[in-house]
Amino acid sequence: MKISINLLPPVTVILLLVFLTSLTLALRILQSNNIVLSQVKLTKAEEKVSGLKNTQASLFLLKNRLTTIKEYFGVPSKQSSIYQLIEKLIPESVITNAITVDKSGEVVFSALIPDSVSLDLLINSLTGKESNEGKIEEISIESLNRGRDGAYRVGFKIKPKKQ
Amino acid sequence: MKKETIIKFYSDFKLYIFPFIVALSSIFLIVFAIYPQTFKLITDHKLAENFSNKANFLETKVTALEGFDQEDLSQKVELTLISLPAEKDIGNIFGLLQNEILKSGFSVSAISLGNSGGKVGGSDSYELKVEIKGAKRMFPILLNNLEDSPRLIRINSIDISSRQSGQEIDAALILGVLYSSAPSNFGTADSPLPEISREDEELLAKLAEGSSVPQAPEQPQSSSSRGRSNPFD
Repeated sequence: MKISINLLPPVTVILLLVFLTSLTLALRILQSNNIVLSQVKLTKAEEKVSGLKNTQASLFLLKNRLTTIKEYFGVPSKQSSIYQLIEKLIPESVITNAITVDKSGEVVFSALIPDSVSLDLLINSLTGKESNEGKIEEISIESLNRGRDGAYRVGFKIKPKKQ
Repeated sequence: MKKETIIKFYSDFKLYIFPFIVALSSIFLIVFAIYPQTFKLITDHKLAENFSNKANFLETKVTALEGFDQEDLSQKVELTLISLPAEKDIGNIFGLLQNEILKSGFSVSAISLGNSGGKVGGSDSYELKVEIKGAKRMFPILLNNLEDSPRLIRINSIDISSRQSGQEIDAALILGVLYSSAPSNFGTADSPLPEISREDEELLAKLAEGSSVPQAPEQPQSSSSRGRSNPFD
């Protein structure tokens, strides 16, 4: 009995594998070229950036300064805001003798108030949430004297709200 | 004897020998050639992509940097350094304060340098005590002028006493004058450029407006000048 073997499938497998191997190798060579080209391009770009490092430094310095300036330029300090608010709340009839706004924003002021109506008006405007814009936390009267002329000499202490 | 054994072995197993060799070579090719090369192909593809992206990023950065007018940029940096210098710059602050105070209608009684300094946010500051006299109604304007001045100044405390039925005041202000040392890091080649926004440009315009010192008017040239310029000629 004669047995015949079909050798084609194993040969095909081998050829296919050899083809795949060659293909991957060829692709690898092409890729290596691409990588080298990209590296050259990258090195050139890095050199150009190094040449412009002064411009870059100026730009970083500019942005650094602008960020801080933006935070404070034209922005009223707590002391300035509370002073302007208190000035707005004091009626025209009231004469302010002294105002002190300390580093924490606490205000101490003494005033000469001609009559009880003005005193009421002042206290109402200082304590009213709408009039004081919700910026005052605590108001205390440190001293209160009524003179023979009917005028009041009052010392206030005002604690602003923490922002 | 030996040759006969081999022939016998071949005739017994010839159906299996060839497929076995093919399978073995296939495994060899896959394990030692196809798999490692394909793996490397994939990893190197990522590497090439990284290089390419980085190169593109740097080229965009170069174009952006080349687009800046160096002179204009230097002027802008100078403006911001006037507003927030790297050093205390005490010499200029006295002049500037005096100018702002006089502009607001006040007269300066005294300006003294405080001992204490401190930090305001990320910046350093030193204190100046300013004693002034003037109209009470102008005081809010002075406060605004000081805080809107091109040099960064914060009002730390206010002490006012009134004279002449409260219309005239004596005031003592403790001001915090800000300065900040230059940053140590100006970015690397890879770092993206900071963006100068429209808001930043507006701020720069305000700073430029505030720091422009009015020029003294030029003396008009008399067209009908008579006589010699030097009478001894």
